Amino acid sequence: MELFSNLALGFSEAFSPQTLLYCFIGVFLGTFIGVLPGIGALATISMLLPLTFHVPPTAALVMLAGIYYGAQYGGSTASILLNLPGTPSAAVACLDGYPMAQKGRAGVALFLTTIASFVGASLGIIILTAFSPMLSSVALSFGPADYFAMMVLGLVAAATLAQGSPVKGISMVLVGLALGMVGTDVQTGQQRFTFDIPQLSDGISLVALAMGLFGVAEVIASIRRMGRNEGAKEKITLRSMMPTGQDMKQSTLPMLRGTGIGAIFGALPGAGATIASFISYAVEKKVARDPSRFGKGAVEGVTAPESANNAAAQTAFIPTLTLGIPGDAVMALMLGAMIIQGIQPGPRLVSDHPELFWGLIASFWIGNIMLVILNLPLIGIWVKMLAIPYRLLYPTILLFICIGVFSVNNSAFDVLLVMLFGIFGYAMMLLRFEPAPLILGFILGPLMEEHLRRAMLLSRGDLMVFMERPISAGFLLSTAALLAWAGYGLLRKRKADSLEAVEAATPAADLARRAP
Amino acid sequence: MRRTIKLDYADAIGGVLLIVGGIWFALYAMNYDMGTARRMGPAYFPFGIGCLVALFGLGCLLGALRRAGAMPVIEWRPFFAICGAVLAFTLVIERFGLIPATIALVLISALADEKPSATVTIILAAALCLVGVGIFSWGLGIPMPILRWTN
Repeated sequence: MELFSNLALGFSEAFSPQTLLYCFIGVFLGTFIGVLPGIGALATISMLLPLTFHVPPTAALVMLAGIYYGAQYGGSTASILLNLPGTPSAAVACLDGYPMAQKGRAGVALFLTTIASFVGASLGIIILTAFSPMLSSVALSFGPADYFAMMVLGLVAAATLAQGSPVKGISMVLVGLALGMVGTDVQTGQQRFTFDIPQLSDGISLVALAMGLFGVAEVIASIRRMGRNEGAKEKITLRSMMPTGQDMKQSTLPMLRGTGIGAIFGALPGAGATIASFISYAVEKKVARDPSRFGKGAVEGVTAPESANNAAAQTAFIPTLTLGIPGDAVMALMLGAMIIQGIQPGPRLVSDHPELFWGLIASFWIGNIMLVILNLPLIGIWVKMLAIPYRLLYPTILLFICIGVFSVNNSAFDVLLVMLFGIFGYAMMLLRFEPAPLILGFILGPLMEEHLRRAMLLSRGDLMVFMERPISAGFLLSTAALLAWAGYGLLRKRKADSLEAVEAATPAADLARRAP
Repeated sequence: MRRTIKLDYADAIGGVLLIVGGIWFALYAMNYDMGTARRMGPAYFPFGIGCLVALFGLGCLLGALRRAGAMPVIEWRPFFAICGAVLAFTLVIERFGLIPATIALVLISALADEKPSATVTIILAAALCLVGVGIFSWGLGIPMPILRWTN
């Protein structure tokens, strides 16, 4: 079996001491920042992007991926104990997790979220392993026109399915595309939008952009919000974590349903872990015999969404690794890290860099087992970390951002860019524009232009090429359908919206409203 | 008498900024060679993007005219303190090295807090100097001046 020899290759790569170490650092940091509200996977991954310059590609990607799925494990801890989500996708865990904690069942909730996370993630990895090679062999037959159309679909899907208004989402994708144009034009050597600043001739640094938007802006916005953070009072002992047989029985099916929902939504561009967890909660509430238990500490309300967001975190790698199309901002940063390492993302990744692809998949297994160990016997450490005051955290975060950016090129100019993008990101946050679609557009912009130019050259300037090729026509028709659906939703929402415009200001309320 | 204006301020401001930015971007792109559809010049794609940004900005603005929305509130204190801290790091790092830059960053960023504590800030600055030098200079071996007097 080819699959087994591939997996053997992957495990031999993942078990090398260096990769193993970086895998551990990744999941450890992931849990850490997942537990802490006020800093998320995006900020951490952008903070560690510069580090990847000094590390071999597989180890670097293993670490960055570990942060991402590790954060999904840790995210629910603060939701359960403090009613304050550690990550956006754990917001739904507040609904029933916090009531469980108030009933003195915090330990059980924490235990079950870890189990649910592991179940969701394991099944997610199996789906990833089964579908990726298939999908990438299909994608090998794509021409430039198909690629361009696929990227259009990916970007539009990411902008319309994500939270907030589709018009604003697409605007942000376009702004990202525009920022991606800065630098030297690959085909003609023309300097574009560089304003004679030599540091801009290679384009805007992804690291500086990501850290400004997700790091600095987030810090500015969080300081006042996080000021009154008091630590959890509960003591979590191993004994208090043991669930009853009834709990386990009630959770088994919801975990599987959650995994299914998560696996589908994770693989779709733009949907991702947060939406998957909200939808899975809504589904559990629908199928439950007694829906009134939800919101008062129902076990299914904690386990199903937890399985969903972990499954989604794994299947999100499918389009990223096989097509080179990132589904969300974290995946866009992963692609950025690959490009930094000189690896061209796309369908050839699986065949050209099998050690990277299979090593990454093998590391997911190892990382998830590490996470179970980190989250069950060692949960007490994480609970204590919730007591770290934000006024100690934010200067530390800021310092790591600055040193990290500076170290890439030893350039103070890049740090200045971080500040400018921080201001830009804070303005976006105030005006309620999402930064994630911007990063997607920024990464895909240059690739899109290249494929468009190539497609037009092959077709001698005839735009009909996009409709004549069945694959690209299919992608474009799906894009049109998606836009029509979003437009229809916008019109229908308008009436209801004018009443609750103020309430919609918080993304959680917005999502909860959209989920069912 | 006050007339209530129905306007979603966030979307209206955002829409106007997008229109202005998009038009500027498209016009600036015209400085380069446009080329033809068959052989696209460096201006072709950015020009299209700029126009689309302006178009969606218009959509954003029109949508904002029909509903009410709160005026965004800027938190000036954290804003200035954090930007100032990063700016200070930028100015200090190349000339004086990592340790002075770390101290400047921590001291200025502490002002973002409503009630900054001097003791906590000084201890944090000292600790972060150790951590920064330990991880980045010694641990990862990134060539970076730690401390220098002359330039």
